[in-house]
Amino acid sequence: MAPIPALLAVASVQHHLLREGTRTRIGIMLETGEPREVHHFALLIGYGASAVNPYLAFETIHDQIRLGMIAGPPEAAEKRYVKALNKGIVKVISKMGISTIQSYHGAQVFEAIGLNQDFIDEYFTWTPTRIGGVGIEVVAREVKMRHDRAFPPKRPIRHKQLGTGGQYQYRHDGEAHLFNPVTIHKLQFACRTGSYALFKEYSRLVDDQARTLCTLRGLMDFKPVPKPVPIEEVEPVEAIVRRFKTGAMSYGSISQEAHEALAIAMNRLGGKSNTGEGGEDPSRYRPLENGDSKNSAIKQVASGRFGVTSDYLVHARELQIKMAQGAKPGEGGQLPGHKVYPWIAKTRHATPGVGLISPPPHHDIYSIEDLAQLIHDLKNANHGARISVKLVAEVGVGTIAAGVAKAHADVVLISGHDGGTGASPLTSIKHAGIPWELGLAETHQVLVMNNLRSRIAVEVDGQLKTGRDVVIGALLGAEEFGFATAPLVVLGCVMMRVCHLNTCPVGVATQDPELRRLFTGDPAHVVNYMRFVAEEVREHMAMLGYRTLDEMVGRSERIEMRRAVDHWKARNLDFSRILFKPTVPKHYGRTCQVPQDHGLDEALDATTLLDLCRPALEARRPVEATLPIRNTNRVVGTMLGSEVTRRFGPEGLPEDTIRLHFKGSAGQSFGAFVPRGMTLVLEGDSNDYIGKGLSGGKIVVYPPAESRFVAEDNIVIGNVAFYGATGGEAYIRGVAGERFCVRNSGVHAVVEGVGDHGCEYMTGGRVVVLGPTGRNFAAGMSGGIAYVLDKDGRFERVCNRELVSLSLLEDEAEIALVRGMVERHVEHTSSSVGVRVLTGWAEALQRFVRIVPNDYRRVLEAQARMRQKGLSPEAAEMAAFEENVHDAMRVGGN
Amino acid sequence: MGKPTGFMEYAREPAHQRDPLERIRDWREEHPPYSEETLRTQGARCMDCGVPFCHTGTLIAGMASGCPVNNLIPEWNDLVYRGQWQEAIIRLHKTNNFPEFTGRVCPAPCEGSCTVGISSPPVTIKNIECEIVERAFANGWVKAHLPLARTGKRVVVVGSGPAGLAAAQQLNKAGHWVTVFERADRIGGLLMYGIPNMKLDKKIVERRVRLMVDEGIRFISRTEVGRDFPASRLLSDYDAAVICAGATQARDLKVEGRELAGIHPAMEFLTQSTRSLLDSELKDGRYVSAAGRHVVVIGGGDTGTDCVATAIRQRAKSLVQLEIMPRPPDERAPDNPWPQWPKVYRLDYGQAEAKALWGAEPRQYAVQTKRFLGDERGHVRELELCGIDWLRGEGGTPLGPREIEGTHRAIKADLVLLALGFVGPERSLPNELGLKLDERGNVWTDDEKMTSVPGVFAAGDCVRGQSLVVWAIHEGRRAAKGVDRYLMNGETVLP
Repeated sequence: MAPIPALLAVASVQHHLLREGTRTRIGIMLETGEPREVHHFALLIGYGASAVNPYLAFETIHDQIRLGMIAGPPEAAEKRYVKALNKGIVKVISKMGISTIQSYHGAQVFEAIGLNQDFIDEYFTWTPTRIGGVGIEVVAREVKMRHDRAFPPKRPIRHKQLGTGGQYQYRHDGEAHLFNPVTIHKLQFACRTGSYALFKEYSRLVDDQARTLCTLRGLMDFKPVPKPVPIEEVEPVEAIVRRFKTGAMSYGSISQEAHEALAIAMNRLGGKSNTGEGGEDPSRYRPLENGDSKNSAIKQVASGRFGVTSDYLVHARELQIKMAQGAKPGEGGQLPGHKVYPWIAKTRHATPGVGLISPPPHHDIYSIEDLAQLIHDLKNANHGARISVKLVAEVGVGTIAAGVAKAHADVVLISGHDGGTGASPLTSIKHAGIPWELGLAETHQVLVMNNLRSRIAVEVDGQLKTGRDVVIGALLGAEEFGFATAPLVVLGCVMMRVCHLNTCPVGVATQDPELRRLFTGDPAHVVNYMRFVAEEVREHMAMLGYRTLDEMVGRSERIEMRRAVDHWKARNLDFSRILFKPTVPKHYGRTCQVPQDHGLDEALDATTLLDLCRPALEARRPVEATLPIRNTNRVVGTMLGSEVTRRFGPEGLPEDTIRLHFKGSAGQSFGAFVPRGMTLVLEGDSNDYIGKGLSGGKIVVYPPAESRFVAEDNIVIGNVAFYGATGGEAYIRGVAGERFCVRNSGVHAVVEGVGDHGCEYMTGGRVVVLGPTGRNFAAGMSGGIAYVLDKDGRFERVCNRELVSLSLLEDEAEIALVRGMVERHVEHTSSSVGVRVLTGWAEALQRFVRIVPNDYRRVLEAQARMRQKGLSPEAAEMAAFEENVHDAMRVGGN
Repeated sequence: MGKPTGFMEYAREPAHQRDPLERIRDWREEHPPYSEETLRTQGARCMDCGVPFCHTGTLIAGMASGCPVNNLIPEWNDLVYRGQWQEAIIRLHKTNNFPEFTGRVCPAPCEGSCTVGISSPPVTIKNIECEIVERAFANGWVKAHLPLARTGKRVVVVGSGPAGLAAAQQLNKAGHWVTVFERADRIGGLLMYGIPNMKLDKKIVERRVRLMVDEGIRFISRTEVGRDFPASRLLSDYDAAVICAGATQARDLKVEGRELAGIHPAMEFLTQSTRSLLDSELKDGRYVSAAGRHVVVIGGGDTGTDCVATAIRQRAKSLVQLEIMPRPPDERAPDNPWPQWPKVYRLDYGQAEAKALWGAEPRQYAVQTKRFLGDERGHVRELELCGIDWLRGEGGTPLGPREIEGTHRAIKADLVLLALGFVGPERSLPNELGLKLDERGNVWTDDEKMTSVPGVFAAGDCVRGQSLVVWAIHEGRRAAKGVDRYLMNGETVLP
């Protein structure tokens, strides 16, 4: 007798009790031999299990100990397993923004793919399921098949062994993978030799999935026209490849060689490559002698804001805000410490050897209005660039995309669940996100229905491999297409899936110089790949009767579900929701036709500041001015700053060349991304995000001379000040809100009090707080140093000690530095607090608490030791990095 | 995997062999042993690739890339790294019936497609495979396993080479009664008489056959189906038949002088030598001997190498090996990329022995035999050959061989061994059974390995043409599965 699947049992009991109204009287405990992985337990808890005893997993552990595969004793191994599961589940629930297990228990935060509505309604009530599929008969049949394989009813056979399965490591009799030895070889060989015929063999293998059913699009067919268009009349390859992009893969996750090869290739084609979230070495902005360019056209602005300086922003053709990541949605990026080589750290303005974690949310995006603000900020920082927002396919993405369109984004990217970095946790690779076909269709439909589609370009990515994939994407509503894994395979990737170990043997996903030497990729191969895909697109277009890709966008009526589907499990799939075409008035656009109105003309910079500062911009002459400011003046100084950067490079102008004195209340993002040479003095107060991304400029804030409240007892600037700032100075006469200097990578700031979460995720710079802090100071802080004047001795209790140590300020050089900062604070703001500290300096020194991250301290000490041995600063950095990699005592990062 | 950084830290350990001058004094296979630590570090070099090219056997550009029997290589490499030898043999036997044969004679397409091999010497998969199975035998872990239940069905297998043996073992596991007919006096096909003892010791073959006998398989030797046993009785006496007769029709060299004495097909030479060795330690003299002769081996493949090594041990006076193709490059050519089988220059065991004895490797490349010249007694004494140019047309398409003017010359030859390959199966049995042949003259089979005659299946070289032992094992296993489904209403318990 085969057992009912545990999840089905739990969910049906859960819903039955819910319907009866008795669920709260009882707990559901599950004893089961089924669950093994984090996702299984997340499902069981999500559908109502209060406790799970995975007895077979435990027995397996005991067996593995007996075989000598794992270290015992059994109780310790079991504990480790349970600990790993707990950590995994916490990761999963935090991805959804849920902090307690009670909130997750019974929350059913899942979407079903391939289960029919009746089955869902009965047992998994309220779970979204959008393409129909199997029901209880099929589930039962499959369970019986599996059972019979283990206990053959008629023919007992000796030595039955479990198959390996092939989910994560390919096995020829296991799970089908589209990238397998044959397809990988054909793709590489075709692109390296420039053979279109061989490429067609590869794409035929990938496209023909009626048997293997790897993707939803594998089950779709085109409806051809009776008379195809002659292929010469179809728009050329050169026009199509301009719509192609490579996916966001950070410099740090992949090697410099691979990253640059992608940039060169896409620039040759007129397409776009993407920096990923690791910043970019400014040397890449200069074209090479042969005319090639290594500049990444798309520069990503992710939650970590690594390397997001004004210089970075002005050299982009597109700025992409990463709201989520297809491969690991809800998680931030992670770069383990042993991959943060000195050159990586430099580009990210971080410390070598210290792991880098991007926080899951952007700390300046807590609502759609905040997203609109960031879009506006970036548009000011580079008015010539398109602003793109990357979303992940999941149920409801259409609504979010509509919001993104209304927030004036120029492009929205829908990213499917497939692919993504091999360094993701396995749970994320397999069980997070949904196929792009669903997300894209929903997005296009919602945008069209609300007459928003014509204002925004829609892009799609997620394991696009062939021309056919692109055509399906276009018919479902996309006009731009991203490729990530495929071009990496073309450059040599063989899908080892050891990206997170830094041992990539083909030099693609590694920073190890020994392995990077083995890189044999060539931009010409990637160019071949893109051109081959475009050529295939043309062939399909001709068959479908289209001459331009624009004509095809959103024409889902040209797709039908494959009629002759062999597989017994695929028969009840229903694609009508994907293929649904909303009926709308004729004038509702189907493609991007109208540019967004970013309102740049109304910015203070455009109306006043640019003209005012012309002498500085054109002749480097100093400019000084005093202006009123109101809270409707947002992003003040940013456009001006972008002009400075454009003309004078990352070094900007000499300090204080442009001195602007504002009186009043500043709106959001005051002084965002402002470079060196600009000094903004705000006499008044400011809203949130002041100094966001500060790139070398100076910001001074103090209350109006005539105000009568005590400055150091009052909040003068809003939340999330200096988010992701990379350099410059700030002097705040008064208290800041929450998350002061979050993700600071280089600013030197003085403030007189901060709210909660001060210096969160900081990686560089120096912060002096001349007053009390809120809770959770220094959470996630992995670099830079903070000094807090702890008058009443409370600080230790409110500081988050996980990654940092506290000490006194004793080093001579540091004392001089802090004193200098306080002196300048007094100079710029006439702060009485500052004056008191300076007069009673000896006493103040006793009260300063020095907060330094442990990893950062160790690396600095190691570097100092290496320099003492006589090594140059660069060699010392590398030597310290290598020592750090092998140091077992590392605390944070991985 | 072994160690994630293993491939960066450990170098490949080359195969252990005795010194050539020492080993040519006997017919033994032995080699210096591997320490456990060496084997563990070799296992550690495996990276347990997300896409294991070693494991997936396919044909790319006509040659095997990856393991034709889909050995679970990363898994047993890891087990070896951890010293889990008993688990390793279980994992190995899951896919390969005879790892002791492949571990000795397979050219190792797995190593040709190993990912480490992209930029460094590949993992020593073949050695590891051989060591796993030999340690298993030494520890008594390889036992005869009788099937749990018998189906009552009877299957006959014609031919006891690797395809026939694999089919027999698998069918027996499934519970059928199996009888194997072999026309030679000993069991094993080419494993017994085609490959000389110093490459594959016959005790190894006999060891496995004994196990199969203990498992209930019946072997009937010295019986040729179609001559000693009527082909018509195959389907009347048995419920299904599997023809594994091999591709034994040798390619001949029809040039002037072919009829002279002293010119022998390689298989005749090798078979007689091994039989005499086993029967009488070569004392009965019932074999073509190279002693004191000027030997010419025509053909540069594995059979040619075996002839070279055999002739040396028989104390040939001199030896030349002729190969019609040009010398392969030392490194992969651009049109032969990884993971294809690397078509590169190799010095095999026989050539190394010739080099050690006479100072140079014995092969001459890109030459073609024009004719044989004999003495007054009708015995060959000389061989005339000429140099060959391999022409390529535009775009590199091969056009064929062309003789080079002025390169005709004669070499001494009083024993000529023709190792020119095999063109296909002998026709008599397929004809008698009425089996359809394909355009290359091989036995045609469908996806289930059944021939055009219902109930008659075929596997191995008679279906593929001349091929590798490991492909034969793959074929035998597939045919067994097909037979099982045929006999048991479409269901099978075989993998």
